[in-house]
Amino acid sequence: MTKTTTTERAEKVSLWQLFWTFFKTGLFTFGGGYAMISILEEELVNRKKWITSRDMLEMLVIAESTPGVIAVNTATSVGYRARGVLGAVIATIGVVLPSFLIITALSFFINAFAENTWYKAAFTGVQACVTILVVNAFFKMAKQLERGWFSALLVCASLDVALFTDFNVIFIILIGGALGVLYTLLCDVVAKRKARKLPLQQNECLPEQDNERNDSDGGEVK
Amino acid sequence: MIYLVLFWEYFKVGLFTIGGGYAMLPLVTQIVTRRNWMTEQQLIDFIGIAESTPGPFAINLATFVGNTVGSASGLGVFGGILGSLVATIAVVLPSLIIIIVVTALFNKIRYNKYVQGALKGVKSVVVGLILSAVITVACKVVLPKLDFTNLSDEGFSQFNWISLIIILTFFPLSKIKVKGKKIHPICLILLSAVVGIVVFGVCNVQQ
Repeated sequence: MTKTTTTERAEKVSLWQLFWTFFKTGLFTFGGGYAMISILEEELVNRKKWITSRDMLEMLVIAESTPGVIAVNTATSVGYRARGVLGAVIATIGVVLPSFLIITALSFFINAFAENTWYKAAFTGVQACVTILVVNAFFKMAKQLERGWFSALLVCASLDVALFTDFNVIFIILIGGALGVLYTLLCDVVAKRKARKLPLQQNECLPEQDNERNDSDGGEVK
Repeated sequence: MIYLVLFWEYFKVGLFTIGGGYAMLPLVTQIVTRRNWMTEQQLIDFIGIAESTPGPFAINLATFVGNTVGSASGLGVFGGILGSLVATIAVVLPSLIIIIVVTALFNKIRYNKYVQGALKGVKSVVVGLILSAVITVACKVVLPKLDFTNLSDEGFSQFNWISLIIILTFFPLSKIKVKGKKIHPICLILLSAVVGIVVFGVCNVQQ
């Protein structure tokens, strides 16, 4: 299954396309990596259709829970899915290159640049736009969550901790993962209890799970 | 060899910081001052530039630190370029390797029930983190003096109402569709730069 999807993708995505897409993304990312999610959604999900929004959130999860810069990690992850190790390297170079070129060029006249009022004016405008891109990224990713009290509670809890404390992000992520496993175990216990009382309902539960699995497979092929 | 030291230090930065570029800042400050590569003030001055230039913040910072260190090595311009190359590669390399391994592993175990459970939890946490970024970024633009870990009245003393107006006018723009396609975010960024130049530059409106 995975092998066929990889070869399908390999035909679709050329290394040059991969490089150019991430070069553009790197060029228009400002500050932290979150504004980049909006650009990647438009480029990869809406226009090129290499991945789905669901893949996007999964890649973000991996990017956020591994060391390094989130923007770069997302690029590596998309590149690897599209074209394997070489794709990962090319996408990473693509997203990093604009920074490298611009900062190297700037280093010759950095003081003049920092004082330039026109650039400051332009950047104040860009900052406002970046806010909107991050807002849109949030809505798109939030849509991918399963509805329910569990997800809602975790979103609010991690928001509070991240915003008002200096608690390390990795611990928030680890606790979130642990709670997710606990929740699954809890659901299992509840389901087993119900099944013992009403043996018929167990049969209803199983096909539903199968459907979910087919859905996610289908999403991947796209 | 200064480049080897630079590589090693930035490799460690790339390896040990989780949670994105801003999490790297304390570690980078520590290394740069301990090694006497830069003064803290030099670094702080550059942070403002790294935030406002295109490209992920942490990569901009790595390129700049590498450039400064390399320029001081006696090789001149070439040394600066070599330094930025070394620092950038070093900061990216650990995550490149880790991501490839993790993605490959993840594809094998993703349908495991407990992996799905953990994923469900972490997904919600990540969305919460993005929401916290939304609030942080929005407040930095509209209320630049507000500090969430240390709330006080002073935080509300400066209010950038013009930025708020730009945000409110650009939000519907990001949603409308032209010929079935949304306006590309890159076009929105370019447009907002023009608006910024016109409003804050030409008309000289004070924030």
